[in-house]
Amino acid sequence: MSYVALKMLFGDRAKYLMLLCGLTFCVMLIVQQGSIFWGLMIWSQSGISNLNAPIWVTDPNISQVAEVKPIASTTVERVRSVPGVEWAVPLYRGVGRARLANGEYHQITLMGLDASTLIGRPGHMQEGRIEDLRTPDAVVVDQWAVERMGGPEAIKVGTIFEINDKKARVVGIAHVQKDFQNIPSVYATFERATTYAPPERRLLSYVLAKARDNEPVEAVTRRIAEQTGLGAFTQEEFGWKTILWVLKNTGIGINFGTTILLGFIVGMAIAGQTFYLFTVENLKQFGALKAMGASTFALARMIILQAFTVGLIGFGVGIGLATLFGTLAASRGQLPFSETWPLLWLVFGSLLAICIFSATISIIKLAKLEPAIVFR
Amino acid sequence: MIVLKRLSVWVSLAGLLFTAWILIAAKKQEPMPTPIEPPPTSPYESTVAASGIIEAENENVRIAPPAAGLITKVFVKVGDQVALEAPLLQLDDRELRAQLAVRQAAIPPAQARIEEQKHRVEDLQVQYKRLQAVHDRRAVSEDDVKRTWYAMEANKRVLVRNDADLIQAVAQRDETKILLERLTVRSPRAGTILQVNVRAGEYATPGASETLILLGETQRLQIRADVDEVNAPLVKAGNPGVAYLKGSTAQAIPLTFARIEPYIVPKKSLTGDNTERVDTRVLQIIYHFTRPPFPVYAGQQVDVFIKRDRATNTPGKAAP
Repeated sequence: MSYVALKMLFGDRAKYLMLLCGLTFCVMLIVQQGSIFWGLMIWSQSGISNLNAPIWVTDPNISQVAEVKPIASTTVERVRSVPGVEWAVPLYRGVGRARLANGEYHQITLMGLDASTLIGRPGHMQEGRIEDLRTPDAVVVDQWAVERMGGPEAIKVGTIFEINDKKARVVGIAHVQKDFQNIPSVYATFERATTYAPPERRLLSYVLAKARDNEPVEAVTRRIAEQTGLGAFTQEEFGWKTILWVLKNTGIGINFGTTILLGFIVGMAIAGQTFYLFTVENLKQFGALKAMGASTFALARMIILQAFTVGLIGFGVGIGLATLFGTLAASRGQLPFSETWPLLWLVFGSLLAICIFSATISIIKLAKLEPAIVFR
Repeated sequence: MIVLKRLSVWVSLAGLLFTAWILIAAKKQEPMPTPIEPPPTSPYESTVAASGIIEAENENVRIAPPAAGLITKVFVKVGDQVALEAPLLQLDDRELRAQLAVRQAAIPPAQARIEEQKHRVEDLQVQYKRLQAVHDRRAVSEDDVKRTWYAMEANKRVLVRNDADLIQAVAQRDETKILLERLTVRSPRAGTILQVNVRAGEYATPGASETLILLGETQRLQIRADVDEVNAPLVKAGNPGVAYLKGSTAQAIPLTFARIEPYIVPKKSLTGDNTERVDTRVLQIIYHFTRPPFPVYAGQQVDVFIKRDRATNTPGKAAP
């Protein structure tokens, strides 16, 4: 019976390819859009993941990483006084403007790292050494600064520009995850960043901390929040907070959600319709089988086998194509593309739903089928 | 198997494997890069952290001139060890020296006048005695005797006045000497010269904003630790602590408790802005330490961890 079912499926090449194309397109669209969406979300929290510190402490009303709420400078010592905290260091984050030698202005995100430990530093350097940040007037820029501020000719190691009328000398180029708003980052030591920063009463933006090895990060984070009255988040929590803020305050979620839903509906429509046509065309054969004594249940099994076979094949081709697109287009980090296992499982689930939907329509048709149709 | 004969099946399988390969090869979140220097960590189970500054144990002395004047000589340079009463500065003293000469010169005439007067008194005394020694009262007039007696007594008073004049002249000379002495600024105590902001030829005025010479004691240093007022109840007098110099966490400096400053002061945040506003107030705790084998300097910043008894009392929640 299974052999007959598969023979039936593959036999009509045009219909089979039509069915396969529909499903492949549907899977590809969902995977591609889902991956771009998730890639964007990862960009939105790059301000957190690029610094890569386990615990973030700041004002309790903070909504996302780029929205800085400065805190008192003694907060570093208060966090250090909480039991279970191994270390705590200050971090400055603010918006500045870089003025290049040719007179161009560029908005930048200014990061001030603790001078002695440089905790929060970028993990990879394309050029230069991060330790050189301790030399006078030194800053490190990321590779996006090179791209945005005039290319490798204008920004290289040794370039001098101004931030807030003060001299900054590039000593290195870091390789980091691109930011959602595509604003280049400039790294300096905390003390230097505060001299670049506009005069403000409070200049400490975040306290980065780490729990002792024998204590769970979550417990220490809760304890910091309780004992200091500040907002303390693990890296993951803060990342999610930022993602949720982006979803709530921008149209990105709705936009991509609609596309994914459309992909799902179109896929379901194409697959359901084609499969139904396919079944209708083969009604004579099904009728003959029924006349020979095959039960409706056996016919249903045949239909389900056909639907799932074409579905699985379509899934494989679809995700393969989407991945190929992603790896080619996003290889240089210019396009947000992040494919994940949960997304694939989600798509797999949707595909099963489409298959079940298509099979159900056909099975209903077959259940009503009279074997006498063979003789008409 | 009919399934294996179809190209689409193989394409599909290839797609699955390719995706799996890409996803497995995709890099995970990397571990945090190791800090350049290990960050300062507390050696105690529970701790009160503070930021501190190294300072001279005795407060620094800002040497000031006793009077406005031209500086003619600076006796010390930065780093000199000076003893108590060692000369530091010489102000221009020519005027007073000239005065001293005049006043000194006024003493010998006064002395001479005394001598002169003494002789005059002696002469009158002799005359008077002789007049009295005459037996025949008619040989001398009563008037002469009286006159001589009056002259003698008056000249004795002049002698007294001349003595007083001498004392006055000497006192005037001594005044000038003391004033002259005052123009040499001397060290009020033994110590080290930390700053010299003045050169010979400059004009010193009392109450100037810039210190002429900063005198301090760098042999014995102490640490002044600032604890946020929110954490002030956690500090127990007498508990030991450790300090780390900024950027060298490998070497801890053990601290012994000295005292708690009884008055909570605004934290100094040196932003260089002329409209500073008080952000936080801090409790200051003074710690003694013995000089470690590596160099430490007055004015250096340190991270301080103070031992805290079991963390039972949590600080009150304060507005961040």
